[in-house]
Amino acid sequence: MKLARSRFIGASVTALAVSALVAGCGTVDAGGGSAGGEDGDKFRIVTVSKVEGITWFQRMSEGVDMFNDAYGDEVEAYQTGPAEGDPALQVQIVEDLIAQNVDAIIVVPNDPIGIGPVLERAREAGIVVGVTEATQLVGTESIDFDIESFDNADFGVGFAKGLAEAMGGEGEYVTSVGNLTSESHLLWLEAANNYIAENHPDMVLVEPTPYENNNDDQQGRELADELLSTYPNLKGYLTTTPSGGSGMASALRDKGRTDVANVSLTLPSVAGPDLEDGYMDFGQGWDPAGWGWALNSVALSILKGETVATGDDLAWELGGYESIVVDGQLILGNDIQPYIPGQFSDGNYPF
Amino acid sequence: MMRNVTTRVLNRKMTPMEKFLLAIMAIYIVIVASQSPKFFSLETAFDLARNGSGAMILALGCLIVLISGGLDVSFTAIAIVGGYSSVLLSRALGVDNLLFIVAGAVIIGALLGSINAVIIHFFQLSTLIATLGTASVFHGAMVILLGSKTFTRADVPQSMLDFGAFSIFTIKEENSQYGLTIFFPIVIAVGVLTWFLLYRTMIGRSVFAVGSDPESASRIGINILRTRLFVYMYVGALSGLMGIIYFSGLAYINPAALVGTELGVIAAVVIGGAKLTGGEGTILGTVLGVVLWQLFQNTLVHLGLSSSFNDLFFGAVLVFMLGFIYLRQRQANKRALVFTSN
Repeated sequence: MKLARSRFIGASVTALAVSALVAGCGTVDAGGGSAGGEDGDKFRIVTVSKVEGITWFQRMSEGVDMFNDAYGDEVEAYQTGPAEGDPALQVQIVEDLIAQNVDAIIVVPNDPIGIGPVLERAREAGIVVGVTEATQLVGTESIDFDIESFDNADFGVGFAKGLAEAMGGEGEYVTSVGNLTSESHLLWLEAANNYIAENHPDMVLVEPTPYENNNDDQQGRELADELLSTYPNLKGYLTTTPSGGSGMASALRDKGRTDVANVSLTLPSVAGPDLEDGYMDFGQGWDPAGWGWALNSVALSILKGETVATGDDLAWELGGYESIVVDGQLILGNDIQPYIPGQFSDGNYPF
Repeated sequence: MMRNVTTRVLNRKMTPMEKFLLAIMAIYIVIVASQSPKFFSLETAFDLARNGSGAMILALGCLIVLISGGLDVSFTAIAIVGGYSSVLLSRALGVDNLLFIVAGAVIIGALLGSINAVIIHFFQLSTLIATLGTASVFHGAMVILLGSKTFTRADVPQSMLDFGAFSIFTIKEENSQYGLTIFFPIVIAVGVLTWFLLYRTMIGRSVFAVGSDPESASRIGINILRTRLFVYMYVGALSGLMGIIYFSGLAYINPAALVGTELGVIAAVVIGGAKLTGGEGTILGTVLGVVLWQLFQNTLVHLGLSSSFNDLFFGAVLVFMLGFIYLRQRQANKRALVFTSN
């Protein structure tokens, strides 16, 4: 009896396995046809974030969802990503997506160079690949296009103007970046410092090398304390990480000081209270939801065989992509968002 | 009583390690002060007290683990999980009360610590491996169950904002002010409590015994499981407390923070003379180790150096101190005709 039962179980397991195999073959055959053929002629566009769960990429997924809603009859668009900001996990996700034969993959790479080879394989499999924050991949076989939200020099000048206004065009200032290896941060600062040197000769950069805050909240605060005590005549601070700006704001708040202009790359929800209370004077950033929309929009155009050219409007309702600049694989938007005191006085932050 | 405790702590002769650390610290402070006159001020001292208090609490917990012969790398994860869960709980219940939030974090921390102790005891695992695993499990479970949303100043409970901004006294200057943070007396209290537990209670003495030799300790009737439960629950509770201090101090709740900084804390405790092989370590040494670490971390701007120098200085002192500890140990062993590997 016992034997008979186990034999029965064995047989049914085998039967199940066989039917699964057959079914599996069936889907592969069907899916092997034209791209996006099986699921109601919709293109499947999958966006892969650096890491899921944080505010920044939650906001990006809102843009992807809005795109999915707006073009729901043509595309099935969604966002996924690793639970930790690990380059290897991103590569695994892209490999899975290649196996699923999606139509387009959008990636915000943790490590642009490292993810290059697997993206190239995706393209060899006929998948459209779009990236952002990955100018290193422009001109390679790994991508179809790279969208940058803005021109780095313009972004830097935006900071410079905000800092100059807050400092009244004179006084000592210092800068900090996440790490001295973050290329884009250094480009922003270079543009900002050049602009200030040309237009505001009374503003003095007292330490030419930017300080580092390692994108860490605690270190942002410690650095601010140190700067305030080292430079008693400090009048301005320009930092390219949200941690840097909120660290300085919290130091100024605790010390009851409002004589130092605090200018930072930031998010509305991080900077909002500091801007309102006068401990941050100017913030600047961009909207990751716009990224999500713009990247999906260009991918869809390519899938439909349309070309994307300079001057095109990607129809993103919050602005920044009304007139893109196309240079080969590189596409530039102009989504530079200034955040100023009074803007969020109602306490409602978009992200 | 209080006076009695302090005199007893201070009357103990300093170990050579502690003297050595004090010397390094004094020389370093003189160098920094000569480079940047603004450094030698009460304001800098208060900034240091504020920025280093979280690290100090973690280090005191870490000291007990090292004395017990273990190596815990899960305390930063416990700090975040305890702190974050407690904040979410208080928000969900609408209870904006600091005592409630701290108690929640401390209890959750102690519970997670007891899980560590049970796993280490019953599976006879190396403490490093066990806590390496549980650190990921705790943090991963928190992200899955509670999410990883950050809370900025606008969403941080008001009681925590008040706590983070509270000074026990404030010095006003022309257009600025600075104060000694409320964290400072809390750190002192934790230090005294840790000293009392280690040196004035049975359970504290059994931590030393288990750390020196678990086999002998169990033969003289020490309950190893109870000792381990105490050690890991205590470090868990301190971590939970530190989580709230950390979040309150920054007025920003980021569940991805802190994890990954545990080795710095352990290194500071080791610099302070705690032996990785267990059974040895002092409160004063730990305090000096953490202060030196924080000094390096908070003075590079004064010296005009980039932040990589922090790692360089700290690493150099660590290697030097370890060499010093083991050299002395070997000499002592030789004199006592003890021939062991450590």
